[in-house]
Amino acid sequence: MSRSKVFGPLLVCAVVLLAGGSVAAGLTGGEAAKARIDHMKGQGAAMKAIGEQLKSGAPDLALVKAQAAKLEVSSKELTSWFPAGSGQGVYAKSKALPVIWTDHARFLEKAAALRTAAAKLNADAQAGNAGAIGADLKATGAACKGCHESFEAKDKT
Amino acid sequence: MRRTAVWDLPVRVTHWLLVVLIPFSWWSATHDQLPWHRRSGYTILGLLVFRLIWGFLGSPTARFSQFLRGPRGVVAYLRGKVAPIMGHNPLGGWSVVAMLAVLAGQVALGLFSVDEDSVEAGPLSKFLSFDASRAVAHLHAKLFWILVGLIGLHIAAIGVYALRRRNLLGPMISGAAPVAEGAEAMPVAPAWRVFPAAAIAGAVAWFVAHGLKI
Repeated sequence: MSRSKVFGPLLVCAVVLLAGGSVAAGLTGGEAAKARIDHMKGQGAAMKAIGEQLKSGAPDLALVKAQAAKLEVSSKELTSWFPAGSGQGVYAKSKALPVIWTDHARFLEKAAALRTAAAKLNADAQAGNAGAIGADLKATGAACKGCHESFEAKDKT
Repeated sequence: MRRTAVWDLPVRVTHWLLVVLIPFSWWSATHDQLPWHRRSGYTILGLLVFRLIWGFLGSPTARFSQFLRGPRGVVAYLRGKVAPIMGHNPLGGWSVVAMLAVLAGQVALGLFSVDEDSVEAGPLSKFLSFDASRAVAHLHAKLFWILVGLIGLHIAAIGVYALRRRNLLGPMISGAAPVAEGAEAMPVAPAWRVFPAAAIAGAVAWFVAHGLKI
């Protein structure tokens, strides 16, 4: 058996594996990365908007509820933004480290922590439990950070 | 040689507080101590406002009108055609203004910055979108190295003068420098002027730190 006869099927397998993840989301790796960055920015904007309301002294509860609901929904979708083959190197602006896929169990664990935090934030926001929202927001921010610390490339600046 | 006052106490205190707070700001930013980073930044803001006011009320060597010279003044100094100067020389004066201006820019950018998790937010970031605040935060990280460059030049200049047997460090500590016989002593600004200047500086820093709200 020649080398190419072994290599060919292996290559096909690899391509199928890599593409499989992307195909699931219906996007190429680069497109998935770009979309992911936009989703992340959306989450950052929601966090910022809630934080500003809490600091304002007279929070607009309707706004807090809407943004908290948005965060809970996106926290549930988050793992789907990371198809295999959409990491650093595929898209220039992506800072998604390979360890997301090589240590996928740990990544999923961190994502679950975000879902828990965002769900509690939204529950307290919808219940108008103003006293708890501050701590919930902190916990949600800590969950964002907890994941970024392990799975995101550091800024060079 | 006779010694006389060259830097008044407010100038020296402002200087040495910046020497402590600029590295502290860098350390606190790179070691996840953002609450301390913000406090340090607000203090630097207060010091900058104070120094600006003191540049009009302070002793002669503290005043912008005394040490800022046009291009001709700088060239004449570089050609050695100027009598010994008490305080900043024409080139050093501009280096001070450059450092203060970049530091002011750095504080301003910090006020509008937000971290990527929106956990840490400058008090003025509420006036910008998340995207814009993130862009400002990246500029904040870059401008720091320009500030470091200017401070590096400042320290290098002190080293060059030291090699030429002129001690610039001592007077910034003691306030006094040797002068030629017969040179006039510097009239030090009255101490009470510190109070209105510090009160205004503190009020401005507090107001900004609270997001421009009383």
